[in-house]
Amino acid sequence: MELGGEKTVNGKSRIVLPLCVGVAVLLVWHIAVRISHSYLTPTPLEVLRGIAELIQKGLLFKYMAASLFRVTCGFMLAVVIGVPAGLLLGWFQLAFQAFNPMLQILRPISPIAWIPLAISWFGISDAAPIFLIFLASVFPIAVSAIAAVQNMQPVYLRAARNFGLSGGELFRQVIFRASLPQIITGIRIALGVAWLVVVAAEMIAVNSGLGYLIIDARNAGKRYDLIVAGMVMIGLIGLVLDLIVRQLEKFDEVRWGYASRE
Amino acid sequence: MTLKRTVTVYSLGWIVAITLLHSVLNLGLFSARSGATTGEKYRIGFLPVTCHLTCPVTDFINKQQTGKSIFTPVRFNGWPELKEAFLSGYMPATFILAPMAMALREQGVPIKIVYLGHRDGSAVMVRKDSQIYRMEDLRGKRVAVPNRFSNQRLLIFRALKQAGMTVNDITLVEMPPPDMPAALYSRAVDAVSSGEPFMAQTEMDGYGRVLWLTKDVWPNFISCVLAVNEDMIKNHRETVQELVNGIARSGKWLDQTMDHRMEAAQFVSGPEYYNQNPRLLSFVLSKPPDRVKYTNLTLVRKDFEEIEALGLESGILKGTAHFEDYADPSFVTDENAINPWNWEGKKP
Repeated sequence: MELGGEKTVNGKSRIVLPLCVGVAVLLVWHIAVRISHSYLTPTPLEVLRGIAELIQKGLLFKYMAASLFRVTCGFMLAVVIGVPAGLLLGWFQLAFQAFNPMLQILRPISPIAWIPLAISWFGISDAAPIFLIFLASVFPIAVSAIAAVQNMQPVYLRAARNFGLSGGELFRQVIFRASLPQIITGIRIALGVAWLVVVAAEMIAVNSGLGYLIIDARNAGKRYDLIVAGMVMIGLIGLVLDLIVRQLEKFDEVRWGYASRE
Repeated sequence: MTLKRTVTVYSLGWIVAITLLHSVLNLGLFSARSGATTGEKYRIGFLPVTCHLTCPVTDFINKQQTGKSIFTPVRFNGWPELKEAFLSGYMPATFILAPMAMALREQGVPIKIVYLGHRDGSAVMVRKDSQIYRMEDLRGKRVAVPNRFSNQRLLIFRALKQAGMTVNDITLVEMPPPDMPAALYSRAVDAVSSGEPFMAQTEMDGYGRVLWLTKDVWPNFISCVLAVNEDMIKNHRETVQELVNGIARSGKWLDQTMDHRMEAAQFVSGPEYYNQNPRLLSFVLSKPPDRVKYTNLTLVRKDFEEIEALGLESGILKGTAHFEDYADPSFVTDENAINPWNWEGKKP
């Protein structure tokens, strides 16, 4: 096999290999529960039955829609604010010097720490979890946009100026486009983080969502099957979301940034 | 399609689709239940514990009898979120831990306790196979309590005192009640204490044993109370009166017959209220029948003075607020004047 073995991957193995790993994980999980005689940890089959129960009660799609709605709003807001803010801070050195320390102070604060303030500002509505998801995802996006502009190769700028581009045109035609591959990477990371905090964000007393499902199942007594069912669904949807964002990398506008691996 | 166009088209399509789905499935858009009536009602916070049982019972019986309820019960999953929502003004009334309400009053929050949620209804559980049979056996062991402002913590203080011990003889751990059964099972702690049904769950599942019920150590124990924002009392006294009457009637109804309790176990365990196993609630409400009580819920000064003293001793209260500051017992002065709901439930 060659190093960086993408060339040996064909369509079939792209599906078969992950499936094999999946089956192996399920087997190890099942056997581990059986051997340890764990009273609380559910087996994969029990989790599957839990998921079936959620579907039967009509809760699964309801909760999926709620979580996806909140993540969509929080994440989109983060993109709409984070990308332009990042580009501007990356371009204007003075603004970067002014705002960067504040950005670095706010960045490491976990969204969970914001929960009390989110409740007092937004009450118990969708706005509170959306705010938490926004906070979690805006920083990776802004930071990747800042880095993208700051690390841009000067040759693009020189060429653009030679063609007489300046101001808004320069920003739109060159700076934004040159930064796009790195911004997309930031967006991918941010979407992962946004989806990651959905459980914490839904700890606020909203009454729907996959995070709520997990917290509610804790209240419902010994329903660890539903807790793990919530975890599995969050994981599976996370996988789908990542696959969707990865499609963006196929566009020519982004693809050139990854050219070295082709 | 170009990147810009694809992203715009798909993003807009997705936002519209998921917003519609969420609105229809979760926010009740287009459903007959939404509308003006739900918007006008005030909210009451509660946790899915038997200490707060009169909240869903009042709501349910109201709906059965009149077709509408007087308030919207809002279920929380933990004390901090419930407290924060109350402080933010999201709901003007809530079921809350008595010492927490008293501490909030000390901190200047305009909160008044207007009625009790229950009496008794807590326990200290140990593992069935442990060698712990008396309070003294807990020496050097780890004991979980729900919150520093919980009366269960004060209960442990009181039991320690009765056994001639102090809090330094054990290790107290704060833990959300839903996590306690698993913690006891996995021996992460040696004893757990919280409101029901989380204690009964360990018993029902076969690994927990009652060390003592609250009624054995602190008869007529109070853990949770109904508290209302003072503004609501000033501006809408008749609404608060209607609420307290409803809660009081529900308490009397619950203690009237065992059939009523079993009926409540069924409807309260539904997804709208507790979302728990009905068998668990039936167990708590019947084994033994006086495990938790819902009568004798008027506010009595000496009960609260006892909590005040213990709260001061354990460091959670400063002693700056007294009964007249945090309590308003005027809504129900004589419980005998209150009649239980005249509702026999849906007989099987």
